[in-house]
Amino acid sequence: MYLRSLHLKHFRNYQAQSIEFTAAKTILIGNNAQGKSNLLEAVELLSSLKSHRTSRDRDLILDGELFSQVGGQLEKDTGSIELAMTLRQNGRRTVALNSISLRRQLDFLGTLNMVQFSSLDLDLVRGGPDQRRQWLDALLIQLEPIYAYVLQQYNQVLRQRNALLKAIQKSAAHPPHSSSSELALWDAQLAIAGSRVIRRRARVLDRLVPFARSWHQTISGSTEVLEIRYASNVTADEDTPEALQQAFLEKIQQRSLPEHYQGTTLVGPHRDEVDFTINQTPARQYGSQGQQRTLVLALKLAELKLIEDVIGEPPLLLLDDVLAELDLNRQNQLLDAIQDRFQTLITSTHLGSFDAQWINSAQILEVKAGTLLEQESF
Amino acid sequence: MALVEAKLQVGYCSVCGHLSAEPVCDICRAPNRDSKTICIVADSRDVIALEKTREYRGKYHVLGGLISPIDGIGPEQLSIQQLVRRVSQQKVEEAILAISPSVEGETTTLYVGHLLKPFTRVTRIAFGLPMGGDLEYADEVTLARALEGRRDLE
Ligand SMILES: Nc1ncnc2c1ncn2[C@@H]1O[C@H](COP(=O)(O)OP(=O)(O)O)[C@@H](O)[C@H]1O
Ligand SMILES: [Mg+2]
Ligand SMILES: [Zn+2]
Repeated sequence: MYLRSLHLKHFRNYQAQSIEFTAAKTILIGNNAQGKSNLLEAVELLSSLKSHRTSRDRDLILDGELFSQVGGQLEKDTGSIELAMTLRQNGRRTVALNSISLRRQLDFLGTLNMVQFSSLDLDLVRGGPDQRRQWLDALLIQLEPIYAYVLQQYNQVLRQRNALLKAIQKSAAHPPHSSSSELALWDAQLAIAGSRVIRRRARVLDRLVPFARSWHQTISGSTEVLEIRYASNVTADEDTPEALQQAFLEKIQQRSLPEHYQGTTLVGPHRDEVDFTINQTPARQYGSQGQQRTLVLALKLAELKLIEDVIGEPPLLLLDDVLAELDLNRQNQLLDAIQDRFQTLITSTHLGSFDAQWINSAQILEVKAGTLLEQESF
Repeated sequence: MALVEAKLQVGYCSVCGHLSAEPVCDICRAPNRDSKTICIVADSRDVIALEKTREYRGKYHVLGGLISPIDGIGPEQLSIQQLVRRVSQQKVEEAILAISPSVEGETTTLYVGHLLKPFTRVTRIAFGLPMGGDLEYADEVTLARALEGRRDLE
């Protein structure tokens, strides 16, 4: 797919800016705090309805303004799609496809597909389990937009169940008569929604692993064996929803005492982990920053391939500040992998650290205080 | 806003919990309505939406909300006991749960359903209403179809 243009109004530090993307690679060059990442963030929003930097729409609206608009023209094999989104200082955001506004935001998801890669992504290996869960969830939403709904349901059940556990804890001396049967209902809901989350996460990882492994071998040029596993705190012998739900309920029973004591839900996919191991050693402990970077690069390339496989056309690639951090060898691996097939938006503070191949035929835009200037191609 | 004002002036039916100027509402008093069928909804707005379909000729029971621990609403805060009394003491042949399929709606449906099952046949509206939407927003045709396609609560 190809994002032909992007339109920003009152978005972050952009007053009003339209951008035509005229090459498979666009390099956004500029000093810090000029609006490079903001621009990628706008694309992220059009893809996922989410920003990894904030969950509040008002942060995205230019200071002093009441609303913000982000739009774009996307070319897909199935035709051209106009994406539009309005964010409001007070009120709900609205989204539209081809000028038809959608009642369910869910229907907007899965239109623009992309893979993001920023220098922060080393946290995928080094950070806490929540980082890996978020990464997996974001990938899943792109591949199966209904998963956004599945996950939202689970989180809502979780919030409700936690509130009930807290209430029961407070009234510990005299629990209301109905509270145990009420809790049992939430247990059942948690097991149903939670099992859906677990099964979908495990399934998408299974599909990603072969790609990640082969990229990892290619990039590291070695015979190291990468292993990726969805490590759930609920497991069943049999791979059916019923078996998993049953195991889930049993686990809740087992943990009911500590749960009551702590007043919070201790069982479920909100506590799951994704294990990366290299030669049977947890990747977090394994090797240098360079090796961890190799792993993250392999994961990102695997995401690109998996999305392309599932969706049937190549997604966009957003590289935020990360290219300059890769050594020339890894830069070239990445370049080989994407060629001109994947539209790529690249941010950097300077061009010096790129291999000339990146710059050849790329569109170069200078970003300065929320405005863009087209540069002569080198 | 209009509804809130109406509530203040009008009050509730002592039988079904629907908004009413009289102690017992028009629907509960109507002699030509089938009192063997009770449709259970969260809110008076849902009664109004269902009445618009003109498909339903039974009675209602308004719970006054949904079970939601986050908002401090447990079964005791809803008119569930009154409902169980009504269903167990009268010859109710079918209780239809018409509650939105949100997480809270689902929990309330299951909770109420289990309590009513010993006394009557319990069915529920058989399809997903618009995601995240209330009954109020479902159009009349969809609601009417939902009523036709109701199924027994498992
Ligand atoms: N809502 C907003 N209104 C105005 N300016 C904003 C808003 N949000 C962020 N900014 C500004 O955007 C700049 C950061 O842009 P960013 O794209 O992250 O920089 P970089 O070019 O380094 O990637 C900062 O100067 C910040 O003050
Ligand atoms: Mg930046
Ligand atoms: Zn009444």
